[in-house]
Amino acid sequence: MEFLAFLVVDGVLAGAIYALVALAFVVVYKASRMINFAVGDWMMLGSRMVASGIHGVGLGLGGALAFGCVGMVAVAMAFDRVVLRRLFSRSLLTLIMVTIGLGIFMRGSAALVFAGLPGGIARPLPLDPLVIVGVPVAVEKLVAAAIAGACIGALSWFFHGSRTGLALRAIASDQQVAMAVGIDLHRHFAIAWGLVGVLSVLSGTLWSFVAGGGFGIELLGLKVFPIVIVGGLDSFPGSIIGAFIVGILESLTAGYVDPLVGGGFSHVASYLVLMAALFVRPYGLFGRPDIVRV
Amino acid sequence: MDVRGRRRPGQAGEQQGEDCPPKSPLAALLEVDDLHVSYGRIRAVQGVSLTVPDAAVVALIGANGAGKSTLLRAISGIVRPHRGAVRYLGEDLVGLPVHRIVRRRVIHVPEGRGMLARMTVLENLRLGGFALKGAGDGEPDLERVFALFPVLRERRGQLAGSLSGGEQQILAIARAMMARPRLLMLDEPSLGLAPLLVRDIFQIIPRLTAEGTAVLLVEQNARMALQCAAYAYVLQTGRVVLSGRAADLLAAPEVQHAYLGAG
Repeated sequence: MEFLAFLVVDGVLAGAIYALVALAFVVVYKASRMINFAVGDWMMLGSRMVASGIHGVGLGLGGALAFGCVGMVAVAMAFDRVVLRRLFSRSLLTLIMVTIGLGIFMRGSAALVFAGLPGGIARPLPLDPLVIVGVPVAVEKLVAAAIAGACIGALSWFFHGSRTGLALRAIASDQQVAMAVGIDLHRHFAIAWGLVGVLSVLSGTLWSFVAGGGFGIELLGLKVFPIVIVGGLDSFPGSIIGAFIVGILESLTAGYVDPLVGGGFSHVASYLVLMAALFVRPYGLFGRPDIVRV
Repeated sequence: MDVRGRRRPGQAGEQQGEDCPPKSPLAALLEVDDLHVSYGRIRAVQGVSLTVPDAAVVALIGANGAGKSTLLRAISGIVRPHRGAVRYLGEDLVGLPVHRIVRRRVIHVPEGRGMLARMTVLENLRLGGFALKGAGDGEPDLERVFALFPVLRERRGQLAGSLSGGEQQILAIARAMMARPRLLMLDEPSLGLAPLLVRDIFQIIPRLTAEGTAVLLVEQNARMALQCAAYAYVLQTGRVVLSGRAADLLAAPEVQHAYLGAG
């Protein structure tokens, strides 16, 4: 029983970071229907920027986070200006391929640019786990989850309480109509990508806290697909819940199934769920099929 | 009646000067001059010129495919004309992005209403005022619209997609009003609505002009359109074939025959 509780708590904490990653994906998907296949590379670059802020520039953690955010927003703006605007009227498939290209470019250039700089981000936290009602909880995961939760809250306020958020949701709903009420699409696409930059820094850093930094982080991006397919590509709450489902599922299979099969199943489990979800509810648990009133 | 087409009423040399919108440049809110729009090889609008005076209703009638909707789309910047000018308050709008044209308070309610179906009525209305920068939260505009259309106040929390067709049309017009339009372009506001609702929709139009909004109205229901408009243009295959006072067009045999179903 205690083991189960430990696994569930561990899964929930991992799920909070997954949720942040999923939101970075959904922000862009909702605004422009673009599937960003390179979320993991964005996270990687974000955490590397923070790490280089610490080790290269000699900033504290806060300063390094700001440094990373400025850097990633700059990357996002450049990507938007130089690439996306030129391809605005092209097919969605072209745009999706471009995200893959950018991901490969990021991976390649990060190896060059950050050569010699350590990729780890030191945790400003104790290593001993807290024991809450008999269940050991890793402090760094708890803190990471709390920060992720706060970010999700801020983002949800942004989307539902601010003028820019309202405009982004309108664009997500119907680009033609959004234009017709006077929303500048390009400006708001740029804002959406800027958000991706900031979310990449945050989730990349949190993931480095929990799992150690380095280049393995881009694999985190692949986890986003079971999450958003399960939750619904265009649903913020859905993708958050999907993230928790995947986090808990991974944790449970790692605890119960991996020892039996010799390990590795936990990494596959979420993709099995992905496939099952595609068969049963292709629009996700919380996504909506397109219904049109005539 | 000008049956030669391609002529703007009020141009020098026309005989029926008094039938037409006033010539004074101050009174003309919108002047479309020799506009050509093509979709690929299809020439949808071929040299249309028209004038919308300030705070007047101008109707645009004609059969399906005559180029009426295309003309509106060209004025609001959704499609780019390859020739001609759209002068609004003396400034050429051609080439401006849609959102900049909206900021000049030229508002287009497209055919099919353009609802944000998965957003609430209130959110749709708030978005209507999006282009009014520095206008505060739009609360007075919202109150004005709710006073005009009480049904929207009742349904403000509902998703726009769940409204009936008539309510959606009302919402579309109300959303446009949130932008305090100087020129409102309505594309087929009566399409698919029951006759009683059509009457309701058309009753809104005089209220708009009373508040200083000019209305450019595209309608297949020619009788309704001509009854509420001051001036009208008849489009056929992308050209103006008739224009003049709406009342005169209503009585003109060619219009009665072709568009009003009279024998």
